[in-house]
Amino acid sequence: MNRKKRYKVIIGSICLFLLILGGTSLAAQKVINVWHTETNPLSRKAVANIVARFEKLHPDIKVEAEAVAWGDLEMKINAALAAGSPPELSHGQPITCAALQAKGLLLPLDEVVKSIGEDNIWDQIKKVGKFGDHYFGLVHAAGTSLLVYRKDLAKKKGLKNPKTWKDLLHNAKELTMDTNGDGKIDIYGVTIPGTNLFINILIGELTKANGGILFDDQNRPQFTAKPMIEILEFLKELTKYLPPGWEGHGYMETFANMSGEKAAMMYQGYGRGASLIEKYAPKHMANTDYFDVWVKPHGPSGTKPAAQVDEEPWMLFKGSKNPKEAIEFLKFFYQDDNYLEYIQTVPIHFFPVTKSLRRSKAYQETPMIKRWKGWLDVQERYLENDLVKPTLVIDWKDMATKPYLMEILGSGILKDMVMEVTKENVSPRKAAAKAQKRAEELVKDKGYAKW
Amino acid sequence: MKPRNAFLSLRGQAIYWCAAILLIFTAFPFFWMVSTSFKSLREIFVYPPYFLPKDFTLANFARLFEQTRFLIYFKNSMFVSTLTVVFTMAIATAGAYSLTRFRFYGREKIASLILFTYMFAPIMIIIPFYVLIKKIGIANTHLALIMAYTAFCLPFSLWLLRTFFQSIPLVLEEAALVDGATRFRAIIHVILPLALPGIIATAIFTFILAWNDYIFVRILITSDKLKTLSVGIADLYNATVIDWGMIMSGGMLITIPVLVFFIFIQRYLIAGWGTGAVKG
Amino acid sequence: MRVSHQNAGILLITPSVFLICALLVYPVLYGVWLSFFKKHSFFPEQKFVGLANYLYLLKDSEFWMSLWYGTFYSVSTIVLQIIIGVIAALILNEAFRGRNFVRGVVLFPYMIPTVVAIILWKWLLNNHFGLVNYLLLAAGIIEDPLSWMGKDHIMTSLVMISVWEFFPFVVLSVLARLQTIPLVLYEAAKVDGAGAWSRFIHVTLPQLRNVLFVVILLRSIWMFTKFDTVWLLTQGGGAEKYIRTLPVFAYMRTFTYYQAGLGSTLAVIMFGILIASTTVYFKMFRREENI
Repeated sequence: MNRKKRYKVIIGSICLFLLILGGTSLAAQKVINVWHTETNPLSRKAVANIVARFEKLHPDIKVEAEAVAWGDLEMKINAALAAGSPPELSHGQPITCAALQAKGLLLPLDEVVKSIGEDNIWDQIKKVGKFGDHYFGLVHAAGTSLLVYRKDLAKKKGLKNPKTWKDLLHNAKELTMDTNGDGKIDIYGVTIPGTNLFINILIGELTKANGGILFDDQNRPQFTAKPMIEILEFLKELTKYLPPGWEGHGYMETFANMSGEKAAMMYQGYGRGASLIEKYAPKHMANTDYFDVWVKPHGPSGTKPAAQVDEEPWMLFKGSKNPKEAIEFLKFFYQDDNYLEYIQTVPIHFFPVTKSLRRSKAYQETPMIKRWKGWLDVQERYLENDLVKPTLVIDWKDMATKPYLMEILGSGILKDMVMEVTKENVSPRKAAAKAQKRAEELVKDKGYAKW
Repeated sequence: MKPRNAFLSLRGQAIYWCAAILLIFTAFPFFWMVSTSFKSLREIFVYPPYFLPKDFTLANFARLFEQTRFLIYFKNSMFVSTLTVVFTMAIATAGAYSLTRFRFYGREKIASLILFTYMFAPIMIIIPFYVLIKKIGIANTHLALIMAYTAFCLPFSLWLLRTFFQSIPLVLEEAALVDGATRFRAIIHVILPLALPGIIATAIFTFILAWNDYIFVRILITSDKLKTLSVGIADLYNATVIDWGMIMSGGMLITIPVLVFFIFIQRYLIAGWGTGAVKG
Repeated sequence: MRVSHQNAGILLITPSVFLICALLVYPVLYGVWLSFFKKHSFFPEQKFVGLANYLYLLKDSEFWMSLWYGTFYSVSTIVLQIIIGVIAALILNEAFRGRNFVRGVVLFPYMIPTVVAIILWKWLLNNHFGLVNYLLLAAGIIEDPLSWMGKDHIMTSLVMISVWEFFPFVVLSVLARLQTIPLVLYEAAKVDGAGAWSRFIHVTLPQLRNVLFVVILLRSIWMFTKFDTVWLLTQGGGAEKYIRTLPVFAYMRTFTYYQAGLGSTLAVIMFGILIASTTVYFKMFRREENI
């Protein structure tokens, strides 16, 4: 074959390739893209089943459901928005939802809320997605952060539910023990993750529990105020009872520490911990006689407990191709029998947003839910009494008025502040002042500074 | 190279020791992975850790196949990586040959320029790349991945192949041409056999780059059916209820076939050696 | 050999040039263009700011820290990869029983997806349950378990994992080249009375020169811009700050601080550093028009 011909063949093949691929995208079906963050196999299967049933009822719609690892979701949304082709539906953090909504990038989900029944959804849940008169986010499932503890060890030491941080420190001290007499500590009082996200969650919780705020009405950071200094001093004390290298512990390691008996309390446990305990802890210990939940304490300047709630809302993107079909899918998703299948994949962590499901017999009879009832009761108590908020949100109005929380989270300013105090021996005041300056710069840079 | 009777010489012994250390250094994580994949979940968190599972089980593999689309991911990774190698080798061989055997305007410039493409951190290319792919209309296809990987592998492949082609004296081709062969046949029968180690090495690099990639798959692919192994395993690791046994068994299954393949193929790294054509 | 038709040469190189320009050069140009703007990563609005991004970074202590970490990381991993890689290649070039098996296994670290390698190593280096600490304690080398992922040792862990992951690349390249060195040269040297070390210095190394030139250059570029391995080790977790190399910092600016303009600026700065170093490298080590 001579050169010219070879050249033509190559070009021709490339063109053919592109044509074929272009052709396949001209299929007659309407495709909706749904991105969610539950990558574990059981949840994906549940979603796949729900999708299959939905597609059967709506043969002209195809649902492409994708499970995206938490950390990568932001990157994907970023890329999608940059390319001008966002997915129809995606999970996201409440503060991400707030930020996107503020820029007009989301479409309302009022129709879905109506179809579920507005009164059927817990008030707390509704507040997450409501901006003004419309719902721009609808939580897929809630799961509050829990103070998990070793009941058997606490009983032995006569420890009770800590009411204040002082109590918590006392419990932590008691629970840090040398169990085999070799002079080395074998079990530490507490374990917390050192990752950016969790430190931010922790600061949000502690701030609320200490009666403080992160940003005032002019959006000025309040890191140098008394509540924050007390938080930093508390954390400094707490690190005495944390396993060494805690700053390198991710979320998973803290669970490993609990089930591997390296730690006796877990300040930021979540319902899914129950599944992990059942999987990895010694058989006789995988129940609430050994691992139970305390209500979180409040700080010296606060009065009520506070915890974070992991409640990612579904968001519907403006500019996506088939938003109407996506709304139909969501309505279908929340129907009790579909929703139940989803919820049952991570039963203790996925707290249903609908009262109808929570009260339903099928839900209550789920074996795992029966086994870990105590954990769910605490979560329901938190929700009913409005003691829980999303990451970095102190008051509900923050959702609508502070869209820069997303950037604060990503900047790591709060995490750096905590690390400086706990790992680098910087005084709380100095670290707080530095964080204050950085945060002020960021807020100003984003154009939200009103002071 | 004739194998020497290694037990006789001190040198031989030293070589065996070094080889053993090398083996341990590279492979002990692998053995740990294998050991963990056969342990029951409870055994995994035991301290002190031990190598041999007391409770040997295949349950992790069972779960891997039942609950995840592991086989599909494997097939996808294989498909994308293999095609990438085919495309890259074809294009790069032609290109490297061109850079060494022909003189044309801009040759040196091209040779230097290809290097520059690597200097822009790939992580920052990803967004504009995605936008471009979307505009062409091939987002969420394996073709996009193959093209991305080929583009990334080309500069390096061109470099390496060029080095190998350069070390093959022109004399040999000329002899073949004098004997009446067309240039094309000269390449196939003279150049390629001698450059085989380089070609194999380049093919391996290309395969591994495609096989390993995470970021591009994560961004360019949205359908679960099209995902590759790296993203599949990463998702298991990031799952809300992490299953270590399943992850390790997945890791083991990813490695063994490729490992076996490489033990087999690395022989051909010395294929060009035996001909003796390069003496003198 | 007569200088052949220009056309043939151009034709053969065209597909390469086309793919590289379309898929690599265009995004790079876009990145450079974006570095002159202030842009939020999610939202389409952007503002031209000229060199403001560059000036901002020069005053940013985080930037200088990343530069330090990035350079330290690249240099240490490259040096170790080359040394261990060349030694390994030399060993694998010798004949011994089981050589084929060892050759295959040595490739293993390079061939597993980075994600799997990181998962494996994180588990091995876990301070409570990890095998590494257990072995070190059992051998009496350390008294207390080391926090490999904590701030004091995380850079060491990262370098160790990176060297483990990438040294096979060096092995492969060098081994392939070693296989094509004519035996004649060694025989001639032996006849001249050269010992093993001398043969290495005077026969092997010069022959490896070209390959090493390319390998060192490429590994340097790749380790300097490496993102996956570094990022996946901590994924933004606690000790991340202490291994925040330039590529990770660029990623964070774009995807977590949502400042896409600054992210691109960092990429351009990295690019500039690499071009400068490469130019120096070429001037110092490039000989003959071969490369």
